[in-house]
Amino acid sequence: MRFVLEFDDVTKEYRSFASKRLLRALDGFSLNVEAGEIFGFLGPNGAGKSTAIHLAMGFMRPTSGAGRLLGERFGHPGTRRRVGFLAESVALYHRRAERLVRFYGALNGMGGTDLANRAREVLKIVGLQDHANRNAGKFSRGMLQRVGLAQAMVNDPELLILDEPTSALDPLARVMVRELLLNARNAGKTIFLSSHLLSEVELVCDRVAVLHRGRLVRLGRTADLLRAGDQTEIVVRAIAARNFEGAVARDGVVSFCVPAHGQRAALEKVWNLGGEVVSVNPLRRSLEEIFLEVTADPQPAPPEGVQ
Amino acid sequence: MKAVLLIAINFAREQRWPILTLLLWVLLLAFLGLVTDIQRQREDLLFVFKQDAVYVLAFSVFFGGSAIYNERRSRRILGVLSKAVGRQQYLSGLVLGVTIACAVYCFALGMTGSWTLGGAGFPIVHVWFLMICLVAACALAGTVALMFSTFLNPFFAAGATAIVLGLPALAGQIIAPQWGYVIPVWELGATVINSSFSSPGTASWLPVLLAGAETLAFWLLSARIFAYVDIAVAVE
Repeated sequence: MRFVLEFDDVTKEYRSFASKRLLRALDGFSLNVEAGEIFGFLGPNGAGKSTAIHLAMGFMRPTSGAGRLLGERFGHPGTRRRVGFLAESVALYHRRAERLVRFYGALNGMGGTDLANRAREVLKIVGLQDHANRNAGKFSRGMLQRVGLAQAMVNDPELLILDEPTSALDPLARVMVRELLLNARNAGKTIFLSSHLLSEVELVCDRVAVLHRGRLVRLGRTADLLRAGDQTEIVVRAIAARNFEGAVARDGVVSFCVPAHGQRAALEKVWNLGGEVVSVNPLRRSLEEIFLEVTADPQPAPPEGVQ
Repeated sequence: MKAVLLIAINFAREQRWPILTLLLWVLLLAFLGLVTDIQRQREDLLFVFKQDAVYVLAFSVFFGGSAIYNERRSRRILGVLSKAVGRQQYLSGLVLGVTIACAVYCFALGMTGSWTLGGAGFPIVHVWFLMICLVAACALAGTVALMFSTFLNPFFAAGATAIVLGLPALAGQIIAPQWGYVIPVWELGATVINSSFSSPGTASWLPVLLAGAETLAFWLLSARIFAYVDIAVAVE
């Protein structure tokens, strides 16, 4: 198993100069992101997601612990040539979109016709090919976010680190980004995606981690997390709801849940009663339910002097 | 090197409005050269020339002291440093950018000065020597301001820069003139300010070379400090 992003017991504390108070943004945080996966990084505001990303990019240093990005310690400039990064609040220079993308590509050592072609290609991917000659300073927030995505992809990175890449996008653009992420994964890239849009994460991410108050509170494969125990939901029609415990009748159909091992017996009972099976599905929870559950847990009080 | 150049040119481009505003003063000198009798008004022209020279020194501190702050506040620094750009390269780009911004101005001032002052009898070669002094002073002053701005806000960085540049000058006046060469911004500025038609001054390269060496030293010190700065933390 090759890890492209590793956090090893990382703690990051911010010290307020004026009040001398300590804020612990990350607290003994460990995580490994595997090559070729789309990894969802979730957490409420202030959970420490952006801090973790900024540490990985080398924008700041951990108070303790260490980490590796594509096998090199955090902050190694040469490694960032293989990484694409989109910050939460996209801030770009006011110049024509194509020139802007070329500028960021050139900072990664690209040049010549390769860079020019790639800049046009990524602008087309994000749907801005008709705005390539417009000044980014006059773009809407959504368009800026798309230029931001274009500059992150210009170097054809092995690892894409995206902090809220769809927060300002309309539904159509979100679908575009979703497809872009899936295509990137199919091409063997790794995507580390921090987002509040749980439905998006649920759709595209292979694995998910939830961060709360600087600590990792849930980690697992998305499919495993969404599976609600071993319960199966059966929807039938043409029988009365009273025949099954906890069954609910609505719009002419009756639905009820049974344990997976009792599924066969329940279906036979439906058929014996002359009923018709509409659907049989493993019961799933939503990521939102899991998120609310794990982030609502009371946390132990922080140590003295730490907020 | 390519990244350093890109950052430098980008910085100079971002400062185009302050530079253009500064260039209005050079235009004023050119205008005076056009409408006045150069021979009769030559002392006034030299005064405006010196005034323009002092402005760019002040602006170099402004450029250097606010560069990192503005980039961090706008969060554009994240886009640049998310690429294969080391922090030392980034600072090199800013130092070079400050120097380019000031050099553009000095070039315009040198051209106008050659035309106006040269026409009034001031040695043109000396005009360009003064411009070299000015660029060297700007590079050093800008780098000192940049160093302080890695950990201070622009207001305090400008204050600290004024103290660091001013103390050797003060010591040079009070204790011994050699103190003026410790950080030779004042010395270089004085070369420009003290020049006159009767005595254009001697072309001493020592302060220019010292300024170049000290610019390098302050740039290395800045890089050392900047390597430990959490750049993603809000600057306010």
